[in-house]
Amino acid sequence: MNTSNTSNVIVTRGLKKTYHDNGVPVEAVRGIDFTLTEGEFTAIIGPSGSGKTTFLNLMAGLDTPTDGEVELSGRLISGMSGKELSSYRRDNIGFIFQAYNLFPVLTVEENIEYIMLLQGIHKKERHERVMEILKQVELEDYADRLPSKLSGGQQQRVAVARAMVSRPKLIIADEPTANLDSKTSGDLLDMMKRLNEETGMTFLFSTHDEIVMKRAKKVVTIRDGLLFKTAESTP
Amino acid sequence: MFKKLIMMSWRNVMRNRRRTIITGIAIGAGLASLMFSDALFAGMNAHMVESTTRTWMGDAQIHRAGFRETARISYTIEDPVRIQSMLAADTLVVASTGRLISPASLQSAMEMKPVTLMGVNHLTENRISMLEVAIDTGSYLSGDSMEIIIGYKLADDMDIALGDIAVITAAMADSGFASRMFMVSGICKFGSDQYDRYTAYVNIESAESLLGLKGELHEIAIRFPDPMIAMDPDLVFYSTFSPDSNKAEGWPILAPQIASMLKMVNVSMAIMAAILFGLVLFGIINSLFMSVYERMYEFGVMKAVGTSKLHITAMVLLEAFWLGIVGSLIGVILGFGLIEYYATVGINFGDITFSGVMFDKPLYTIVDWSRIWIYPTATLLFTALAGLYPGIHAGNLNPSEAMRKSL
Repeated sequence: MNTSNTSNVIVTRGLKKTYHDNGVPVEAVRGIDFTLTEGEFTAIIGPSGSGKTTFLNLMAGLDTPTDGEVELSGRLISGMSGKELSSYRRDNIGFIFQAYNLFPVLTVEENIEYIMLLQGIHKKERHERVMEILKQVELEDYADRLPSKLSGGQQQRVAVARAMVSRPKLIIADEPTANLDSKTSGDLLDMMKRLNEETGMTFLFSTHDEIVMKRAKKVVTIRDGLLFKTAESTP
Repeated sequence: MFKKLIMMSWRNVMRNRRRTIITGIAIGAGLASLMFSDALFAGMNAHMVESTTRTWMGDAQIHRAGFRETARISYTIEDPVRIQSMLAADTLVVASTGRLISPASLQSAMEMKPVTLMGVNHLTENRISMLEVAIDTGSYLSGDSMEIIIGYKLADDMDIALGDIAVITAAMADSGFASRMFMVSGICKFGSDQYDRYTAYVNIESAESLLGLKGELHEIAIRFPDPMIAMDPDLVFYSTFSPDSNKAEGWPILAPQIASMLKMVNVSMAIMAAILFGLVLFGIINSLFMSVYERMYEFGVMKAVGTSKLHITAMVLLEAFWLGIVGSLIGVILGFGLIEYYATVGINFGDITFSGVMFDKPLYTIVDWSRIWIYPTATLLFTALAGLYPGIHAGNLNPSEAMRKSL
C-alpha cells in the first residue's frame, strides 16, 4: 500500500466523483492524477463549478471518491471507515474554510486548542502551543476574545492558527480569502507564506483570488473536473 | 473533552436566549401544570377521604360478619367489651366508638318516614364523627334518654321543629316491634342526604332498650392517626380484630367508590402526564432540530476537524439536558408558587357533591412529597431523551454535505 515517495504529501490517481442531482448524475471530478510534495504552497484555481472544492474534499477525506485513490503521506485513505477518516483528518490535516468557520461559543484560545483537545493533549502543553501560535499570527492579546469580537481578517488568522497548531502534514484552505478585502487578503497570505517557509508545512488552496494566485509557488488549474494546467511560479 | 462539551452545550443553549427562554417557559408551563394538577388531585383525594371518614364512617369499622350485607339487628359484635378494651390498648387506634344501628320509622303528628336509627355513645361519638359539629340548631346529645337528633331535611320533610315529639318504631332483636317517644333536641346539617334526610340519632342506651340489645353493639368505628393507614390491606389491625365471627374493615372496603375514585384520579394523572410529556418531547425535538439546522456549517466544521459522532451527539444531548434544567427550574418555581397560593386561598367549587362527597368547603392543594419530585425528574429525563434524535442526526451528518447545504 505504501508505494509512494515519502516527500509526497498527497497523491491522487484517477480520482473521480459523481454526484446525483435529482437523479441526474453530475461528474464533478472526472479522473485527476495529482501529486503534492512536502512544503508546497499550491493554489488550485478554476471557474465556479469546475470541481475545485470537490477535489479538495476528496483529498481531505471529507468525501469518498466514486473511483480512484487518494494517498496521504503514503497511506491510502480511500476505503477508510468514517471513524478512521475522522481520526485521520484530526491528526493529519488542518482546515481553513471560508469565513465563519470558528466555533462562535469558544474563545480564540479555546478554538485553537479544540483539535488538540480531541487529540488528548495535556492542558499545559495545549496552552503553551496556543500562545506560541497566537504569537506567530500576531494575536497574542486576543486569546480570551470570542470570534464575534474580531474582524474578518483576525478570524481567518485564528483559523490559520487552529489549522496549524496540531502540526498536521497538510493544510487545506478552501477559498480562505473569499470574504476578505484585498489588503486583509494580502496580509493573510503573506503571513501564511511566511509560516510555510518557517515551518515547512504544506499548504493547498482553492481560490478565485488573484492575490492568492500571485503568492502561490505552484498554480494548478482545474476545468470541467479535469486537471487542465500546472504552472510553477518563478521566484 | 466531556467538560468542554458541557461548557459548549451551555453556551450553545444561551446563544439564542429568546428561543431558550420560550422553550424553557413551554417546558416549565407543562411541568407546573402537572405539579399543580397533582397537588389539586392530592387535595381532592384528601378531602374525599377526610369527608368520607370524618363525617361518619371513621377510618375503619368492626362488625359482626354478615351485618353489613344483611343489616340484621341480631348480628351484633361478639364480645364487644373485650374488643373495646383491646382497642383502647392498641397504639394504632386514636379513638373508637360503639353504635347500634337499625332500620326504623320516625313518626310525627303528621308524617311517618323510614330512617336508619343510630344509637351513639355521646361521650365518644364526637371523637369519630362530625355529629356534634354538624348540629345546626339545638344541642348535641347529653345522655338524656328522651333526646333525638334529626337532619334538617328530615325535619323539613316531616315538619318537625326543635322540641317537638317524635316516635321511633323498630323491630326488636328477639321478635316484635317496639316504639319509643323522643323529643327533638337537635337538628343537624351534614350536607349529605344520607345523614340529613334518612338518619335519626339517639343515645345508645335508648337504642339498647328500644331494640332489646343491652350491652350489645352493631358497629365500632375507629380512627387512626392518618386515614391513609387504612389503605394497607395487610394491616395487622384487620387480622387482630377479625377473629371468628367479627370482621374489621378499613374505609377502602367500606366505601369502595372512594377507593375507586382515588385509583381513577391516579390513572387520570398518569394519562395527563403522558400527554404533557409527549407534547414537551416534541416541542424540544422541534427546538433542537431548528438549532441543529441553523448550525449545519458548524457541525460540518466540527466533523471535518475530527470531532467524533459520539461527541457531537453528546453535545446535542447536553443541550437538551440544559433546556430541561432551565424548563424544570421555571416549572418548579411556577408550580410551587401556584400550589402554595391555592394551599392558602383554596379553590371554591360551590357546594357540589361528587361521588357522594360534599365539596362544601374550598379545596386546598396538598403537596404529595412521595411523588411530586417525579415530575421535574421525568421532565429532565424526557428532555434529555428528546435530544437523542436530533443528536444522532447531527452526529451522522456528512461534513462536506453539511457545509455545502448551509452555504
